[in-house]
Amino acid sequence: MRNPIPHIIHNNTFWVSPDRCLFWEEQNILILADMHLGKSGHFRKAGIPIPQDVQKADLQRLITQLLFFKADRVIIVGDFTHSTSNKELELFKKWRNDFPLFRFDLVKGNHDILEDHWYIETGIILHKKELVINDFCFRHEAINTDPLENPSCASFTFSGHVHPGIHISGRGKQALRLPCFYFTREHCILPAFSKFTGTYRVKPKKGEVIYMITGTDLVRKG
Amino acid sequence: MNLSLKASAGYNVVVNWLSTKSRQPFIFQQQTWQYIINGESGLVNAPTGCGKTFSVFLGTLIDFINNNPDDYTLKKNNGIQLIWITPLRALAKDIGRAMEEVIGELSMKWKIGIRNGDTDTAERARQKRQMPEVLIITPESLHLLLAQKGYPALFSSLKIIAVDEWHELLGSKRGVQVELAISRLVAVKKKYAIDNGQLASKEIQLPIAHCPLSIWGISATIGNLDEAKEVLMYPLQKPGVIVKANMDKLIEVESIFPDEIEKYPWAGHLGIKLAHKIIPIILQSKTTLIFINTRGMSEMWYQTLLTLCPELAGSIALHHGSIDMELRTWIEDNLHRGNLKAVVCTASLDLGVDFRPVETVIQVGSPKGVARFLQRAGRSGHSPDAISKIYFLPTHSLELMEAAALKSAIKENVIESREPKLLCYDVLIQYLDTLAISDGFDPSTIYKEIISTYCYKDLIIDEWENIIHFITEGGNALQQYNDFKKVEEEDDLLKIKSRKMAMRHRMHIGTIVSASMMKVKFLSGGYVGVIEEYFISRLEPGDAFTLAGRNLELLMVKEMTAIVKTSSKKKSKIPSWEGGRMPLSANLGKKLRETLNQLAMGNRQRVNELTKLDPLFALQQQLSHVPKENELLIEQIETDDGFHLFVYPFEGRLVHEAMAAILAYRISRIRPITFSFAMNDYGFELLSDQPIPVDDTNVYELFSPEDLLNDIQRSVNSTEMARRKFRDIAVIGGLIFQGMPGEKKKARHLQASASLFFNVFSEYDPNNLLLRQSYNEVLEQQMEEARLRDMLERIQQSKIIITFPGKLTPFCFPVKVDSMREDLSSEKLEDRVRRMQLDLKG
Repeated sequence: MRNPIPHIIHNNTFWVSPDRCLFWEEQNILILADMHLGKSGHFRKAGIPIPQDVQKADLQRLITQLLFFKADRVIIVGDFTHSTSNKELELFKKWRNDFPLFRFDLVKGNHDILEDHWYIETGIILHKKELVINDFCFRHEAINTDPLENPSCASFTFSGHVHPGIHISGRGKQALRLPCFYFTREHCILPAFSKFTGTYRVKPKKGEVIYMITGTDLVRKG
Repeated sequence: MNLSLKASAGYNVVVNWLSTKSRQPFIFQQQTWQYIINGESGLVNAPTGCGKTFSVFLGTLIDFINNNPDDYTLKKNNGIQLIWITPLRALAKDIGRAMEEVIGELSMKWKIGIRNGDTDTAERARQKRQMPEVLIITPESLHLLLAQKGYPALFSSLKIIAVDEWHELLGSKRGVQVELAISRLVAVKKKYAIDNGQLASKEIQLPIAHCPLSIWGISATIGNLDEAKEVLMYPLQKPGVIVKANMDKLIEVESIFPDEIEKYPWAGHLGIKLAHKIIPIILQSKTTLIFINTRGMSEMWYQTLLTLCPELAGSIALHHGSIDMELRTWIEDNLHRGNLKAVVCTASLDLGVDFRPVETVIQVGSPKGVARFLQRAGRSGHSPDAISKIYFLPTHSLELMEAAALKSAIKENVIESREPKLLCYDVLIQYLDTLAISDGFDPSTIYKEIISTYCYKDLIIDEWENIIHFITEGGNALQQYNDFKKVEEEDDLLKIKSRKMAMRHRMHIGTIVSASMMKVKFLSGGYVGVIEEYFISRLEPGDAFTLAGRNLELLMVKEMTAIVKTSSKKKSKIPSWEGGRMPLSANLGKKLRETLNQLAMGNRQRVNELTKLDPLFALQQQLSHVPKENELLIEQIETDDGFHLFVYPFEGRLVHEAMAAILAYRISRIRPITFSFAMNDYGFELLSDQPIPVDDTNVYELFSPEDLLNDIQRSVNSTEMARRKFRDIAVIGGLIFQGMPGEKKKARHLQASASLFFNVFSEYDPNNLLLRQSYNEVLEQQMEEARLRDMLERIQQSKIIITFPGKLTPFCFPVKVDSMREDLSSEKLEDRVRRMQLDLKG
């Protein structure tokens, strides 16, 4: 793994990791989006044989990131779980019992349809709509008809949902599409943490910043 | 013990009936009848429109009358006698009508049933209670019958399976479906015979000397007729016979020339500039079929012809696979009645019954193969001694060369083969799921049947066990956390017990041909047709596009339906359907090289097409070079796009794609470099943002046959060819399905693209069966080692000529504008990304 790149917002340092998450240095918090836990199990339940190693690898990556940054808290900006209950989610519960010391905050996303008690039993603190820390707001969808509960106190929003991907091209008719972090002046859209996800093409405007994930490395554009 | 045909009761009944219509049986029909009453199987080789249907159908009737000479007119509800498999739903109705007419005039009580996606549930239920004597069915619907509980009972009285247009099915995965269904029906009939004491039970282990079931294929002429027969006969384990009609018609080819070849586009203009030249042809002729290679182009042509000749409105129609069934049927009916002056069509009208009023056929663009060209030509001129006339309209100048090659191929009767598909895991998985939802299956019994087919004859027991593991356990899994549920064991049988899963699978069986199609409907109601989801996904609401000859505006996408209204916008996007790119056949490629040689040698006895091309070749010679048969031309050109390397082996698109990948791979070993490459039927292009290190010193080495096998493997791994094959495989193998009504939300949670599956399997389950299949398909069908080796050896023997033209040449232009490209890189992704630019909004 290559080193993460620091990105400064309002004098706070957010380390952009090539492993699809952010580390907030001042608060010791790991921020991620769209884990889609249990997605492979959901497919398998319907007779579609997705290898379960996808989910195992996602979880291992999460642990490695927590240990690497020595974070003590995780904020997930939605879609932590994929669908209804299945055995893979039980596996996560067991895993969670082995690592009870991290604090997990989940801002509910549209895929988080499990009963509240599941999250509570798993030691996950639920936030229905948003979570605000200092100047920063965490929610699932950045742009939404649903207004911020307290717009005045937050000047920067972190969100997920979109699974942003970026299209770049070069001479010789070369073109690539890669998952990315998408920073505008007021918000950041995180890439989906899970690798069992597709991407949706975002089109940045001038002055906006993109970190492209090339697999093992990050490339900043803009 | 063979009954003599002419002495038989049935023969006399049928011949008398024919004579009431002042007709006599053809020799090939009588031969077929004799074989049928002898209980033989085989293949009838006859072109469309000369009584091929009657060869097998009347044979079935004769056999029945022979067995019931006194009361054949009285016997009804005899159970199924004949299954008639047809590739196109559209054909079923016409064939059924023709058969019913015969039954009626012979005063017999047989019923003719049609079974396909359009058959309503009441009719299906009726058929289940009492099967008609003849069932006309598509391969998919036949599999759906095998998905019904208690299906073996339906087939106990079956005598003959006929496979119509077998040349069309062979070489496709639908052909494999036919093979699998036959293997099952043969086994069902054998078991029935044993249970009824007709066959000693030990015989089931032995090769069946006489299975109480005959199989008859009906095929147009292809290069490998013997193999075509062998594939069908394989489960019977007997050789079978070939009956030839020998009724090939005379064909006349006439090219439509641009007035000035210098001014005719070098590429990419769909031939529309010549549209005005076919108006007089259309007006002079009773009915004209205009064959266009892709659905997108056909939409454009339809619009253009209407604009050029408004009086055609109402008597010109557009017919392609994405158009609503009802409208297509209407067009076909009116073609029969001679009410239409012209129909712009795609391969959708290649097959099936004759449209007698058709006098003229126009082929726009390369037909890509001799067999297809002949078949289309045969659509015109129906009286026995009439000459079939076909006009060839080139879409770019160089295509005139193809016209010359086609003419020579027809003269020498060089026709392509259709290679049967082998070891398709995806179709097998789908079939096993099908058996699992009906009565369940015993794996050891079914394994024996599977390896009795041509497609799976080399399936080893390990692979079989892998497949069973795949459908029962979902491959490798974390033991106590495995949710996988699909096929389960119960009383030694493998079954799918979930009703929901069974229903989903039934809906899925028919999707073997259409990956992800979306319905297009008007907001006000009314169905327009279907369209690739991929195309719609690139449109925003408000965008206009053309379908079925109409300008439409996309309003919204709702579930799997695109809601539209009529658009008044002038500019609309024409959908580019996938699969529109047929590769040039190897035969035509060879003819093309010979033609080129004639041009380069300045052969005097040349056909018109070549004379017409003289100015273009003079320009090519002036800018670069015109290669002779023993030369390989390579052009290196620099433009604003980057550095181009063009190579012209004239081997057809598929081979060029393989060659381009290997060459790109070999060059990329010299130093880190990234290529995008494109190809057409004449040659291929490597394009890079850096100079391409190819020159006199290394060019023979780059085209060396040495270490070819390894380089093939490595270049396939570093391109996206397998990923593209995987798209169909994922659908057929049951990874992707569209949601059902009423389970909207949860179905969304089950959606993922084929490309995502490909990524996940590649990273986490590289031995996945379906993933392996996609690589095998590339390696076996496209990167065929023997063919590539032959070609490289030929290149080693020939003179390689490298030129450095100052500007684009007539040869390179059509390759360069091709938009479908592959990538291959030996650079680090990060390094590539750093050099590229963001595509900013606005």
